Amino acid sequence: MFAVPAILLLFERKWRFVLAFFSVYLVSVFGFEYLKTIEAGLAFSLVVSTMMIVSHMMPITIVLYYVMMSTKVNEFLAAMARMHVPNKVTIPLAVMARFFPTVFDEAHAIGNAMRMRGIRLFSLRTLANPFSILEYRLVPLLVSVTKISDELSIAAVTRGLSPETKRTCVANVGFRVQDLIVFVYCLLVVVCYVFPGLTGNLLAR
Amino acid sequence: MNISLKNVSFSYTDSLDNAVIKDLNLEIRSGECVILAGESGCGKTTISKLINGLIPHYNSGCMSGDVFLGEKNTADMTLAEISRCVGSVFQNPRSQFFNIDTDSEIAFGCENMGMPREKILQRIDDVVKEFRMEHLIGRNIFHLSGGEKQKIACASVAAAGPEIFVLDEPSANLDLKTVADLTEIVGRWKKTGKTVVVVEHRIHYLREIADRICYVKDGRIAHEWTPAELEAKGAEYAASLGLRCVNLNQLSEVERSKDLSKRSTAELQVFKDLYFAYNRKFPVLNIPMLTLPRGQITAVIGHNGAGKSTLAQVLCGLCGTWRQKRKARKYGAYLIMQDVNHQLFTESVLEEVLLGMRPQNEKTALEILAGLNLEQYAYEHPMALSGGQKQRVAIGSGVSSGRDIVVFDEPTSGLDYRQMLAVSATLQKLAASGKTLLVITHDPEFILNCCSNIIRMEHGKIAEQYPLQGNQDKLIHAMLNV
Repeated sequence: MFAVPAILLLFERKWRFVLAFFSVYLVSVFGFEYLKTIEAGLAFSLVVSTMMIVSHMMPITIVLYYVMMSTKVNEFLAAMARMHVPNKVTIPLAVMARFFPTVFDEAHAIGNAMRMRGIRLFSLRTLANPFSILEYRLVPLLVSVTKISDELSIAAVTRGLSPETKRTCVANVGFRVQDLIVFVYCLLVVVCYVFPGLTGNLLAR
Repeated sequence: MNISLKNVSFSYTDSLDNAVIKDLNLEIRSGECVILAGESGCGKTTISKLINGLIPHYNSGCMSGDVFLGEKNTADMTLAEISRCVGSVFQNPRSQFFNIDTDSEIAFGCENMGMPREKILQRIDDVVKEFRMEHLIGRNIFHLSGGEKQKIACASVAAAGPEIFVLDEPSANLDLKTVADLTEIVGRWKKTGKTVVVVEHRIHYLREIADRICYVKDGRIAHEWTPAELEAKGAEYAASLGLRCVNLNQLSEVERSKDLSKRSTAELQVFKDLYFAYNRKFPVLNIPMLTLPRGQITAVIGHNGAGKSTLAQVLCGLCGTWRQKRKARKYGAYLIMQDVNHQLFTESVLEEVLLGMRPQNEKTALEILAGLNLEQYAYEHPMALSGGQKQRVAIGSGVSSGRDIVVFDEPTSGLDYRQMLAVSATLQKLAASGKTLLVITHDPEFILNCCSNIIRMEHGKIAEQYPLQGNQDKLIHAMLNV
């Protein structure tokens, strides 16, 4: 299953990213398969369960990353409109996609401000009151994020984004051979999972 | 398309008792360029929102009277319909984008109107040529400078081809060179017969284009001049109304008469090896030695991307190698960010000042607050204060942590004349108490008002450093031609 996002990411020329995540994934998958047979203490089983979580969650996270990174907002809106998904569903999703980079940007600036004040993640004071660190991070983040989200929606509505009107799109969005290949492959994988007897479990990986 | 506001009153609350706009009548003819000027909080932005339909369709409140665009009443139109005839550009370049790449952003308005694909591509092509921004195409908007972002915002609004343009303080975050680009853009719109409404307290850059300046006070139009009339009344008259100077050349004449001898040179503070690079071949910042006069205010000028912000970050230990950061801690520089919201964490102003203090002492903290005229707000939540007060709280937190050097990142962007004077007074007081101040700014009026030294940066290096005394003309010249 990991192969799909990995290959798609290779098309986007993210060599190092793919290599790094592929190795982490392989280590956790095989590590888990090998180590799960051994019985040992609590610390050991923590490691094993972490490996299990990584091997299960990673493909999904990577797919999400791929979608966020490669799809422009307007392409997303156009593709969804083609699939007859109502605007009321897609516009909020599009806003969310636009929102994440902004939140990271803001969080970075706040982190800088905290470092300047000498508030560190691990110090005597924060250990004594672990919630304070959460408060220092979240209060300014929430304030700036609410302001920005308001400004963003104003920018969108004054430029005519509305659920009632039908949009066009400059990008050519459609279902092509490449999409068919990926679609069929994914379908096959799903079938293999549901009926494991049909083929070996290996393809599903 | 003409705009007419007839007996309009508006309040953001439920009743018209304390209305922001009071019984306003305003006629803007087709093809006219009108500036709505006035101090912060006078209601000028609300007027712009009445024109672009955000009131009554987005902001709720109590409204009476009618706003007509051409023959149509905005109350009877949807926002999508209004957006076809009114294009809006806002103050904050960071948050007026819906897309992440520049191409889609320019196409966005057209796509929302349901224009056919070929026509949109044609429009994008035209706009790109018109604004001469071939180099900005296909870029990530998050990686653009403020000026470039504002240019994209103008282009994307223009691509949709509205008849009316409404700009809300578009120059607030721009350097003077980029402001000149803005002048050109507005000039071109006017030439092609578009109606342009600009909300601003900086008038100098539209002095030759605007037909009228409407001065808004307490929700009414108190005065109306042509730019020439206002200029003839002199810089002091404009300043008394809270407006920024009408003509930058006029400015240097007025301020030159000021006595700057008090701001003479003092003991110097030396910083070595300020260096930062994302890529070894092209350092963003490379200053072998920086000297700052202790207890004085030094302005850092230079166009967007000259390395000014990087200098501030390196001095404050916010970027660079581990060793640079450790060295920066020794300098003890403290940054007041452009968006002070990022650096206020706690639940009360007093706590904010106590947070970085070693050892914590409430009495000293209250003294610091008193010095910044904040003692009556000591127990308020910092986020409930006004922008200027927040800025002073941030300064207080820097002072209380015992820092000697305070770096400001554009402390006066978007401020009217009176607010600018208040910031300038705070900074002068801080300098008089022995702190060394470094101010990154694009604001010539502010520099002439309180700085004593100028550093001009170019390509990550110090191009020149000179005292302000006797060099006022040189400064204005440098800022206009960066």
